[in-house]
Amino acid sequence: MMDKRGMEKRKSSPPSFFHRVYSVWYRHIRVYNKHLISNGFPPFLEPLFFIAGIGLGLGNYVGLIGDTPYLSFLAAGMLAPPAMFTAAFECTFGTFIRLEFDKAYDGMVSSSLTVSDLFIGEMLFAGTKGLFFSFAVLTIFMIFGLIPSKMGLLTPLIGFLSGLMFAALALFVTSFVKTINHFNFFLTGCLTPMFFFSGVIFPITNLPYPVQIGSEIFPLTHSTRIIRACCLDALHWSLLWDLLYIIVFTIIIGWLAISRLRKRLIQ
Amino acid sequence: MTDKNNSADEIAVEVEYVFKHFNAFQAVSDLSFCVPKATCFALLGPNGAGKTTMMNMLIGRILRDKISHSKISVLGYDPNKNELEIKYNTGIVPQENNLDVELTVIENLMVYSKFYGIPKKEASKRIHELLSFMELSEKRSSLIKQISGGMQRRLIIARALLNAPCLLILDEPTTGLDPQVRQAIWDKLRILKASGVTILLTTHYMDEAHQLCDNLLIMHQGKKIIEGNPHNLIRDHMEAYVLEIINKQLFNDTYCNTLRCERTATRLMLYTNQFEDLQTLSKTFGAADYVLRPTNLEDLFLKVTGRGLNDG
Repeated sequence: MMDKRGMEKRKSSPPSFFHRVYSVWYRHIRVYNKHLISNGFPPFLEPLFFIAGIGLGLGNYVGLIGDTPYLSFLAAGMLAPPAMFTAAFECTFGTFIRLEFDKAYDGMVSSSLTVSDLFIGEMLFAGTKGLFFSFAVLTIFMIFGLIPSKMGLLTPLIGFLSGLMFAALALFVTSFVKTINHFNFFLTGCLTPMFFFSGVIFPITNLPYPVQIGSEIFPLTHSTRIIRACCLDALHWSLLWDLLYIIVFTIIIGWLAISRLRKRLIQ
Repeated sequence: MTDKNNSADEIAVEVEYVFKHFNAFQAVSDLSFCVPKATCFALLGPNGAGKTTMMNMLIGRILRDKISHSKISVLGYDPNKNELEIKYNTGIVPQENNLDVELTVIENLMVYSKFYGIPKKEASKRIHELLSFMELSEKRSSLIKQISGGMQRRLIIARALLNAPCLLILDEPTTGLDPQVRQAIWDKLRILKASGVTILLTTHYMDEAHQLCDNLLIMHQGKKIIEGNPHNLIRDHMEAYVLEIINKQLFNDTYCNTLRCERTATRLMLYTNQFEDLQTLSKTFGAADYVLRPTNLEDLFLKVTGRGLNDG
C-alpha cells in the first residue's frame, strides 16, 4: 500500500529547471484544454467577422497604402493584436485569479517549484496562446487570400514572441494590482491606445512626429512591423531592431515582474 | 549546505531562536523546537498565534528574520537557501483547499506528479496506490466540484504524498470535517508515521493533538508557552480531575478557597487531584448540572493561553 521502496530507486533530487517550467506549462495547457471548444473556437471566428465587416464595408472606401491594397495592409496588421490581447488577459485576470482567488499558486509553490518556475512557465503558456491565436487568424486570412506572401507562415512565431512580451508586461502590471478592477486601467489606458497607435490599422508614418516617437515605445509597434513585413514579403535587416526590442523588453520587464511577484508570494 | 552529523540524522526538523516580524507585527518570537524523525509534532495555539507563519518558514514560503544564532534545518537543509530540496522531500497540506477545480481527481494528481518530475508510468502506479490508500478510487474521474469537502481534504493529503515524502506538514488537516473523516485521516497519519514519515501539524482540536502527537508545543502571540509530550504536560501542569458546574449560579463560591477554580460567563470549573472530593461535591447537583471528568489537553490549553478571545 504505502510502498516507498519503488520510489526510492528514483534519483532523489528535484527536477531540472527546464522540467519544472515545462510542468507549469503543462498544467496550464491541461486546464485550458478542459474547455477546448469555448477556448479554441472563437479565435477562428473573430477574423471571419473582421473579413465580413471590413472587407464588405470599410474596404471599399480606402484605396492603396503605398503599393499595397488597404485590405492586405490591414489584414497583415490585424495579425498582431490577438497575441497581445490573449497574453495580456491571461497574465492579468488569469494570473490574478490563480494568485488571489483559486490559490492555485499556493499549492504549486508548495510542491517542487520555485516562484520563478511558476511565472516563466506562465509566460511560456501565454506565448503558446499567442502562437495559437496568430495561427487561427492567419489560417482564416490565408483561406480568403489576404496574405500575399508565403513568409506569412512565420506569423505564429512572432505571435509566440509577442505573447511572451505581453505576458511579461501584464505580469508586471499584475504585480502592482490589489483588486481585480484595477486591470481596467491597464486594458483601457494601455492596450487600447496601443491598438490604435502601433501601425495596426494605419501607418504610423502619417502621425505627427512626437506621436511617432511614442509609438516606437509601444511594444505592439514592433511585433506589428515584423508580422506585416512577413505577410507582405517586405523583410528587411532593419527588422532585427524590432526583434531585439521584443527580446530585450521581454527579459527586462519579465525579470522585474517576477522579482515583484516573488515578494508577493514569499514574505 | 547540508551539515549532517550523527545526531542530526535522527532529527527531521530543528528550529532554533527563530523570529519573524511583518512590519510592526511580531508574528513569531524566539521559537525553538526539534522534531525527531518518524515522530508526530503539533503546533497548537489560538488563532493568530503564529502557527501557520512558523510552518511556512519551514518550507521557505516565509523568510525568517535574519538574526545571528537563528537557525532552521529541515531534513538537513536551510529553507532560506534550499527551499526546493526541502519541498521536493516534503508533502504540504495547506489550510485552505487549493485543488484545480476544472480538473478531475486523477488529473489533479497527474499534474502535480509532473511538478515532482515523476515519470508517467511510475506516477500512474503511485496515484493508483494513493487513491486506494485515501479511499478515493471510486471518485478518480469525478470533477472536484462533484466531491465532498472530506474527499477534497483526503485528495489534498494524497497529493502531498505523491513524491513519497519523508516529512509531512499539515496545517489544520481536519478543520470542518465530520467525525468519520477526521478519524479516517487520523488512522492514515498513524500508518504513515509507522512507515517512517515525520509528521508536523497545526490544529485547533486538542483531541487530535493528543491522539496523534508524540510531542507538542503550545504557542501564544508568537511565543512558546510550553512544550512536551501531551500526557506528561497534563500530568505536570494540571490537576488530575475537574468538576465542571454548568450553571455557576447553583453554587456558592466557598470551595474556591480550597480548590483551584476558573470561571467563564456561565460555568465554574473546580480542579483537584482528589477525585473523591469532587465526587462528594457533585452529589449536591442534578445529573445535568455538572460534568466530572479527568482533565485533558483542552483544559491545559485554556489554562496556559487564557480564556479571552484572540481573534481581535
